[in-house]
Amino acid sequence: MDVVFEDFRKAYGEGDGYGLSMTLCPIPPNDQPDRFPNFYRSTNFQHVQKDFKYRILHDAASPFKLPIEEGNGWVEVYFTYWKAIGEILNAEASNEKASWVKVYEAWKDMTNALLRGYTNCGFEAWTVPCLYMAGKYLRVFAIKADDAAGTSTASVKTFQEDDFNPEGEKNEKLEDAARILNKIFTTCLSDRAPLEESRKWGIYNIINLLFKTYFRLNSISLSKNILNAIQAYRGDMPTLDAFPKSHQVTFKYYVGVINFLEERYEDAEKHLTEAWLLCHKDSIKNKELILTYLIPCHLLTTHTLPSLALLEPYPRLQKLFLPLSRCIKKGDLSGFDAALVAGENEFTKRRIYLTLERGRDIALRNLLRKVFIAGGFEEAKDPSAAPVRRTRIPVAEFGAAISLGSQEVMEMDEVECLIANMIYKNLMKGYIARERGIVVLSKGGAFPGTGV
Amino acid sequence: MNSPWPMIQQPPPPGTQGQYGYQQPPPAYHTVQVRQSFNTQPLHYVPAIQQPLPPPPPPTMAPVESAPRKKIDWPQPVRNYVARSFEPSNLLDDIARPDMEAKLKQTITEATDNNTLGTIDWDNLPLPQQMIRQERAQAALSWQQESVDLRMGGMTNGYTNAKKRKSQEIGGNDEDSSATPPWRANGRFEDRITYDKRTKPFQDDSHKNTSKFQKNLEKRQKRFQNEYKAYKPSPSPEPTSGPVVGTCQDLEKRYLRLTDAPKPEKVRPEHILRQTLDLLKKKWKKEANYSYICDQFKSMRQDLTVQRIRNEFTVTVYEIHARIALEKGDLGEYNQCQTQLRALYAQNLGGNPVEFKAYRILYFIHTSNRTALNDVLADLTTAEKEEKAIKHALDVRSALALGNYHRFFRLYLDTPNMGAYLMDMFVVRQRLAALANMCKAYKPDVTLRFITEELGFESDGDAAQFICDYNGQTLLEEKGDSLRFLSGKGTQIFEAARNEAFRKVDIKGQI
Repeated sequence: MDVVFEDFRKAYGEGDGYGLSMTLCPIPPNDQPDRFPNFYRSTNFQHVQKDFKYRILHDAASPFKLPIEEGNGWVEVYFTYWKAIGEILNAEASNEKASWVKVYEAWKDMTNALLRGYTNCGFEAWTVPCLYMAGKYLRVFAIKADDAAGTSTASVKTFQEDDFNPEGEKNEKLEDAARILNKIFTTCLSDRAPLEESRKWGIYNIINLLFKTYFRLNSISLSKNILNAIQAYRGDMPTLDAFPKSHQVTFKYYVGVINFLEERYEDAEKHLTEAWLLCHKDSIKNKELILTYLIPCHLLTTHTLPSLALLEPYPRLQKLFLPLSRCIKKGDLSGFDAALVAGENEFTKRRIYLTLERGRDIALRNLLRKVFIAGGFEEAKDPSAAPVRRTRIPVAEFGAAISLGSQEVMEMDEVECLIANMIYKNLMKGYIARERGIVVLSKGGAFPGTGV
Repeated sequence: MNSPWPMIQQPPPPGTQGQYGYQQPPPAYHTVQVRQSFNTQPLHYVPAIQQPLPPPPPPTMAPVESAPRKKIDWPQPVRNYVARSFEPSNLLDDIARPDMEAKLKQTITEATDNNTLGTIDWDNLPLPQQMIRQERAQAALSWQQESVDLRMGGMTNGYTNAKKRKSQEIGGNDEDSSATPPWRANGRFEDRITYDKRTKPFQDDSHKNTSKFQKNLEKRQKRFQNEYKAYKPSPSPEPTSGPVVGTCQDLEKRYLRLTDAPKPEKVRPEHILRQTLDLLKKKWKKEANYSYICDQFKSMRQDLTVQRIRNEFTVTVYEIHARIALEKGDLGEYNQCQTQLRALYAQNLGGNPVEFKAYRILYFIHTSNRTALNDVLADLTTAEKEEKAIKHALDVRSALALGNYHRFFRLYLDTPNMGAYLMDMFVVRQRLAALANMCKAYKPDVTLRFITEELGFESDGDAAQFICDYNGQTLLEEKGDSLRFLSGKGTQIFEAARNEAFRKVDIKGQI
């Protein structure tokens, strides 16, 4: 136990929050594989609190003196931490999945002890990284516990429900973890100390953990509450750019994705682009995540496709987007459909299927544009004048182009319907004269933004 | 499918739901005491307001309260009785202090009025808190027969209400007794009003203070009395760890939201529920009374849940309820069933997963729930995607995603199972979207026939009616031998109607 408290004294003496949080890590450092067994065995249930109290509060070797109240708070934290370590060692040794439920409960106790430290014992704001550590692993252990629980346990509370709650049973612990994280969030947000020593500086890290949890729980809508809460407090909060970059990037990424899922592509693009620009250049994984949403976004807002150079470092994204991109570029509708079906599992997993599907409009636009160009020019009455493209095109010509790819004949009414959509969405300028079976395209820019 | 869209979302006639009352929400407020009559004396309110009285009030309290009557020298047994009532060890958790005090006062007052103060065996008389508990238990019994689902806001609410009601009762008792308190003797409201001689008949001399108005008040007061008394505090058994095993043999049971652990004698076991289902199926065919059926199905589902019965029978119950709810456009209930069915199908318990998975897709199209749609897509297996009903629903989805109204309305006219009930819910908005689309793309006009065919109307008449419903009559014009729709001029009307229709989807609306 002395190793742990040496680290504690060192970090506390230097006011090193991240160092302090490392003493509460549930994963041993690589160079000390025996740290936890030794720590756990160094005391026992009977003496643990007294031992810890002595080391934290009364050790003569300590370079500083903690206020009694705060010291007792830390004793409680390390006592619960010690118990959690015991459960972890037990779970790892027993190989029994169910013991992760106990690990989760023990870790939750630790987290709660830590929270009480802030609300009752005057823990200082620089120690918030300890909350990051607690929150991070709370989520990890909750997921492990839920995996272990499977379908076996049903909570006692269900007797009051008319129907059973399938989701609740599957993610019981993770939902519980979300509630605790929310408590941490409130503890940080409601701190009234002056900004220099406020727990508010921990807020975005915790928010990111919450978002992550909500996404996994499939209750993304709950993220809205968080966003509303910080919106309400924005007056007495530091601006986002004053926070550590890592917090900013993750936060912007999540806000971007939330907007993306709610089909607010402009907002999504703004946030994702900011995240993209701030992201560390070597965080390939994170950049890949950002691009996963930024690329479909871009396709819809600007009708542009990713360049090969952009995708070059990300083989996974190449696999994801290149087949579709090629078909869109060529105006190959049936190829597009096939690529969409082929990638459906991957796309739905990342929740980009429904957005990518809309890329079909661009593919169709490109195909119709080809028909328009193939139509050539009007016979010029005046040879010296600039050539004018043929702007009256039979619907049948468009229909032929569409059928060419799919090898199936499409009814003219349906072809008209597709063209009507193009016109409605401003991808094409002109109108359909149904009586005469032709499409009359605008002489100045029939396909806006494409140069013809 | 005969003329589907006008018959959609027919809510049941108002009143059918109230009859069953299963949707009464708990009051979200603390009941504020309303003045029940003009002549209640304020003294009775005092205990209610000063709920946290200092612990053992002096035993002299009763004499003080009845001071206006006459000075009484309280016999020692009475004093002991009062003292015992306030002893902390005799206090009951589920009886609020003010209730107990009121009861105590009532007991002593009655004894004083009947001159039985000296004759009652005070040493063996049940303490007021015990009396209250007994009364409540009795009231609860009679209550269960009537059983109307009136949920109380919560424990405390129930208590304070009971207390308040009590205080009124005592007031009533006092009235009967000859000793009218001095503050009432000349303070009665009626006495202060000078009645016109002609309206005076209202005042019946035999019932001195019952105007018609007041009679109503009393009636109302009584009506509530039952409810409050009936509130049963929970001397109920601790929830046991295992599921309940029901013993109830009744086929029919009203739905009541559980506020407590279920009691076996109120829960029907599976073999009874099977008979219930047969009965309900017959009744539904014969009477088609939706509020009754829905109520019964909810209680069946509840019984299944509390007993943790999850098998093919459970699936059948949910499927049938879901179908009936669909038919009646009760999306709230339908959605509840659908959520359960999804979990039940995941356990491979039989039933008709294909049919209901298809409904699920259509439902999410209706509610424009993109996240859920994405998840449905992710959950489907390749084989399932080829099933007719599911394929149909997926095609509907993709047709809408791509704005292909032509294909959408073809699919609409050829919907398997009961999917049309769901499609009816969004077909109007899709027609508006398609019209907005056409108005922008087609110039100068199209035949009405074309609209009818493209938008899946039954007849030209229906199509024309639809256009007129959105004030598009000026866009219809006779030309030669055909009726034409002046699409070129309709953009504004139908763009606005489209936006309005897509603005909000109300999914919460239950019948």
